[in-house]
Order: sequence, then C-alpha cells, then structure tokens
Amino acid sequence: MKRKLVAAALAAAMTASLVLSGCGSEDSGSSESGSENGERTKITALLKGTESTEQYQVFNYLLSNFCDEKGLEYEIELVNDMQDYFTKLQMYINSNTLPDIFGCPNGTLSQACLDIDALVDVGAELERNGYADKLNGAIRDFLTDANDGNLYLFPQGLYCEYFMYRTDIFEEAGITEVPTTWSEFEDACEKIADIGEVPVVVGGSDAWQLMRYLSFAPWRVTGSDFITGYQDGTDSFSENEAAQFSVNLLADLGTKGYFEPGFASVDYTSACNLFFGGTGAIFYSGSGNIGLAEEMYDNGQLGFFPVPDVDGMDNISTNVPVHAGFAEGFNKATYDDTMQEFFDYMCENFSDACYTQAHIFSPFNEELPEGLPQLYYDTQPMFENAETAWTSWDDKLDSDVLTQIVDEQQKLAQGLTTPEEFISACDSFVAK
Amino acid sequence: MQKAFGKKSVIFMFVFPAFLIYTLFVVVCVIWAGYYSFFDWSGVGAKTFVGFKNYIDLLTADTVFRSTVWHTLIYTLINVAIQVFGGLLFAILLSRIKKGRVALQTLYYIPVVISSVAICQIFSKLLSVTPTGIVNQLLSMINPAFATMEWISNPNLSLYVTAFVEAYKYLGLYMVIFYAALIGVPGELSEAARIDGANVVQEYWNVRIPYIKPVIVANCLLVLNGSLRSFEFSYLLTHGGPGNASELMTTYMYKQAFSSMKYGYGSSVAIMIVIICMVVGFLFRKFTGGGEDE
Repeated sequence: MKRKLVAAALAAAMTASLVLSGCGSEDSGSSESGSENGERTKITALLKGTESTEQYQVFNYLLSNFCDEKGLEYEIELVNDMQDYFTKLQMYINSNTLPDIFGCPNGTLSQACLDIDALVDVGAELERNGYADKLNGAIRDFLTDANDGNLYLFPQGLYCEYFMYRTDIFEEAGITEVPTTWSEFEDACEKIADIGEVPVVVGGSDAWQLMRYLSFAPWRVTGSDFITGYQDGTDSFSENEAAQFSVNLLADLGTKGYFEPGFASVDYTSACNLFFGGTGAIFYSGSGNIGLAEEMYDNGQLGFFPVPDVDGMDNISTNVPVHAGFAEGFNKATYDDTMQEFFDYMCENFSDACYTQAHIFSPFNEELPEGLPQLYYDTQPMFENAETAWTSWDDKLDSDVLTQIVDEQQKLAQGLTTPEEFISACDSFVAK
Repeated sequence: MQKAFGKKSVIFMFVFPAFLIYTLFVVVCVIWAGYYSFFDWSGVGAKTFVGFKNYIDLLTADTVFRSTVWHTLIYTLINVAIQVFGGLLFAILLSRIKKGRVALQTLYYIPVVISSVAICQIFSKLLSVTPTGIVNQLLSMINPAFATMEWISNPNLSLYVTAFVEAYKYLGLYMVIFYAALIGVPGELSEAARIDGANVVQEYWNVRIPYIKPVIVANCLLVLNGSLRSFEFSYLLTHGGPGNASELMTTYMYKQAFSSMKYGYGSSVAIMIVIICMVVGFLFRKFTGGGEDE
C-alpha cells in the first residue's frame, strides 16, 4: 500500500512537472506586443547589445519619437551576449512569438524566420516608399537573401572597415607608403617589429578578429564564392589558392610575432583601448571606431588604408569591406498599418538617427550632414559607389563549422598547428 | 511536537516540496536532455530521430570530447587539492593564531562572495600580457623575459590557471567549514595527546584531522561535484581555449548545443556528464566508505 502511495505521488509529481513544462512550449502564434482587440498599443523589439550600442541608440530614438507622436508604448528587450541572443531568438522562432522588430543576421536565422513566414519583404517596402534607390548597393548585396534574391532585412547601418595606422611609428620605421599588397603589409610589419613596436594589434579572443585575416584574401579574389563553395562542399581550402594564401598569412602574422604578445586573450574592446591608447602600429578598425580615432586623426597621428591586394592574383575592385551590421527583421504576423507607418517614419529619419545618435554611416546614399568628424568625409569616397559587399564568414558558415574553425584559427595563429594541418582540419569539417 | 515530527505524514509534508522542485528542475531536465540526445536538431525546425548515433559519435569519433573528459578530471583534482587540502591548511593555521584571526578569516572569505564574472575579470587583468599585468610586472623584476609570459593564452597553462582561479574563489568557503570543525574537536582529546608526548604536528595528524574526517570527506564530495560541473571559469576566462586547451565537458556541451546549434549532440554530452558525475561520485563514496553509517 505504502509503495503504491509513493509510486502514485511520484507519478503525480512527474505528470505535473511534464504538464507544467509542456505549457511553456505551446505555440501561441503571435507576439505579446501585437494588437489587442485589433488596436495596437505597443511596439516591441528584441535587439542585440546594450543601451550604448548603435542598434539600440537608433531604434530607441526612432521608437521613442514615433510612439510619442502616436500615443503608443514601446519596449526594447536587449541581450548583449551573441550566443544568448541567438538562443533567445531561436526560442522566439520556435514558439512563433517573435516581437515586432528583431535583430537578425542574414543567414541561418533569417532562413529559419523565412521558413515560418515571419519576415516582411523589406525590399518591396522600400520600393513602395521610394527608398530602394537610395540604399547603398553593397549594403543591399550584403543583405540580399541567397535563395530568392529578395531583401528581407533592414540594415543596422553602414559599416566600412579599413586598417588604421600610426603615422609616427610608420615614419620611425622608415615606411613611406601605406601597404597596397599583403607582401608589402608583411614587410611593413617586419620593419615595425625591428624598431621594437608592436606591428599589429588584434583582439584574438573575439573570433571575428582573427577570422578577418582568414577571410581577406578569399574575399579580395573570389568575393563570396569561396566561402559559399566551401560551405556547400564544392570548394575547399586545399583547392583554393586564395584560401591557402590567407591561411599562410594568418600563420605568418601570428607566429612571426607581428600580433601583440598574448593576443589570444585580448578581446576587441581591449584591443581598441590598446591601439587608441598608444600601443601598436596597425589596427583593423573602421567606421564604428571613428569616435575613438577622431582626435588622433585630426592631430595627424593616424592614417588609414584599405585591405591590401593579394599578390599575384586577380583582385576585385572593392577593397573596403562594407556591411550592414546585425540587421533587423520585421515580424510579418504583426506588421499592421501602424508598423507600416513606423517603417516609413524609420526610413525618413534613419540617417538622422545614424549620424546624431549612433554616430555611424547611414545605409542610404545621402549627403553627409555638416559638423561630423573629418574621418567621415575622408573615408566616405572609399565605399560610396561600392556594389560588392563584405562576405562575413560568421553569417555564411554553419554554426557547427564556424565553431570548429574558430578553435582551429586560434591554434594556427599561435603556431600550435601548421598551415597544412589547419587546411586538412578545415576541409574535414564540411562533407563533400 | 516531538511526536508530530515522528509521524511519516509530517515528514512527507516537509520533504515533498523539495522533492517536487528537485523533480521539476533536475529530473525532468535530465529526462528531457536524454530525449533530445536521440535527435539531430539545430534548435530551429524539425527534429530528426537518429537513435544512438550521437552517443556512438561521441564515444568513438569525437577526440575533443575525450580530451575534455581528461581536462575535467585534471581540473577536478587541482580543485580538490587546493580547495580541500589548501582550505584545511589555512583552517589549521587560522586555529593556531589568536590575534587578527577574525580579520584574516573575513579576508580569505571575500572571494567567495564576489561573483565569478568579477573574479575572472580581475584575473584576466592581473595575468594580462599586453598591457603588462601586475603578475608579469612583478615577475619581470626577477627576469625581464617574464614580462611577456602568457598565462591565459598559453595552451600549456590555461587549464591550470583556470582551475587555480576557481580554487582561489572557493578556498575561503572550505577554510571556514574546516575551521568550524577544528574548533569543535573536544579539548580533552588534544590535551590527552599532548600528555602522551605528541607535538603539534602529531596532535593534528593523529587526533584532530582523524576526528574531522567526515567533514573532509563531505567537502571532497562537494568540491568533486562542483568541479565536474564547473563551467563559468573556463568559459569566462579562456572560452575553453586556446583551441581546446582548457575545454571542460560543460563548456564543450555549451558550445555544441548553443554555438554549433547541435542540440541533440549537446544533449548527449550533457547525459554523459550526468553519467560521469554519478560514476565518479559513486566510486568516491565507495573508496571513502561513505554511506556505511546509514
């Protein structure tokens, strides 16, 4: 009898817990913000970052002004860590409870949103409100869906990346011209190392920083062809000359001591602080750091140069990586008249928000407002007419392959594996 | 009152809420993870049933997982050595001093109440190479080459550094437990030992430490349990790197499930962690004679 009672209690507990946990996974089918009795009262957004990141600053500004005008409330949910953000977004996708606006990179997650028909056709909306022609060509290219060629995501901003260098260190090392090829880049590093300075500052504990050095050569030579081919199993590191070049480049920079000591434990923020605090001669930076670079640039202490050419190979004309940042999707299920109105308001005021709130370039080709730091005006011509976007490996690779390459690239840069071992390992991650 | 506590229904009433919560948050999660481990699932979209494939891959083809098991065992041993035996040593020293004992006790306990994130930040700055951290600055006074000594980013050291940081945080906790146990040793036992001619070392070795053996065993089990499941120090300090040099089973599980988005495979790693924890715990109890008194 007692055993039966205990068994019954156990069964009851298990059933209750299963039922309770099951309750959380039921599809509710709509966002909690959405519409209430047909009347919208609130706009909700899920963004990656903190209150000091650009995406928040832009959307907080736009939503606050729009909602004040319309008498609506708005709520922005922020998740800072990238993995946590992806997990949260997946949870919303799985339960089909996406907010009205959500940060979403162009790749696996945007595809998952499309699979449940949760993305508004932003391209069509831009055509409707007349902003399609103003959108920078490279930005459109960056966000265009690989499968159907449509545009489902709205850019976070326009980010261009380039190398910044210390003019005084270059002068001291006897470097008179900025490097235009990777062999010139390595020569410059050698000269800088010879005078006892750190040639290149890199935030090696943040995966994307080292991955840029792996991506430069394939991007300059093949655009996005190599990485998409690699992911599809139709191309490989061992077959692609540009990819091999990049592997050797990263190994050289890491093992010859051109990166700062302990680079593998330096994150990107610390790397920024190091470079703009006076350590190192070259730093891969970009428009996102104009605020930090402004003073040194105005004093003539800093210069910039684009991504060098790959020696002995045909390079694409675009040499400044341009991308749209994290991008935002609009939930199709809750995209009502109010949201359409917000979309139009956003397009009208986006450039203003970019320049006054977040201090980033606007993705729309519009004249720069007056009073910005000089670096804005000097770097804009590099990307104004760019039509080929940067190919971000983070977005193009499957998460599993990406995680494995991240581990391997750190070993390569630290000299723990040889370029041959790296190539062989990376080629084994993708099924042919 | 005494009578009421003897009733099984009253005991059940007190035990049931804890049992229910434990079932909800532990047992159900383990069962759920076990269920997912039989699927190939990216966390988004449809799940594909793959049977035992995840386990077969994990045990036969995954060399990284094997290395993480080894790393976790080393990590656990270091933690047991520093937290339990270091804690015991500190407690003994503390019990020998009269002046400033409370101040020292509080000082050693501070890391326990500081969050792991803050501790990791502090150590990453202390052990920094560029800019040179305090540790390397001090070491460079002995030999200038130590100024560029890598700790966190050195694959030969990162695991030990991570283990040390966790051990540093919790050392004070076990020190306090041991101190409480040591001052609970009856004075007449020590007195008798001293009359028999025992010196201080012999007194501790033959009387006090054997007296607190159950506390030592219990602390070992707690540290063992905590270290086998440790996650945050490796994740925050080294991200399991460089490469997989300081990867633990838990960080590997996280990477598989949430970075690689292989929820099924990550769940199979989670189940293996449960099994390994249970086996290690069982062996430890067996070798230390645990459960004999029950």
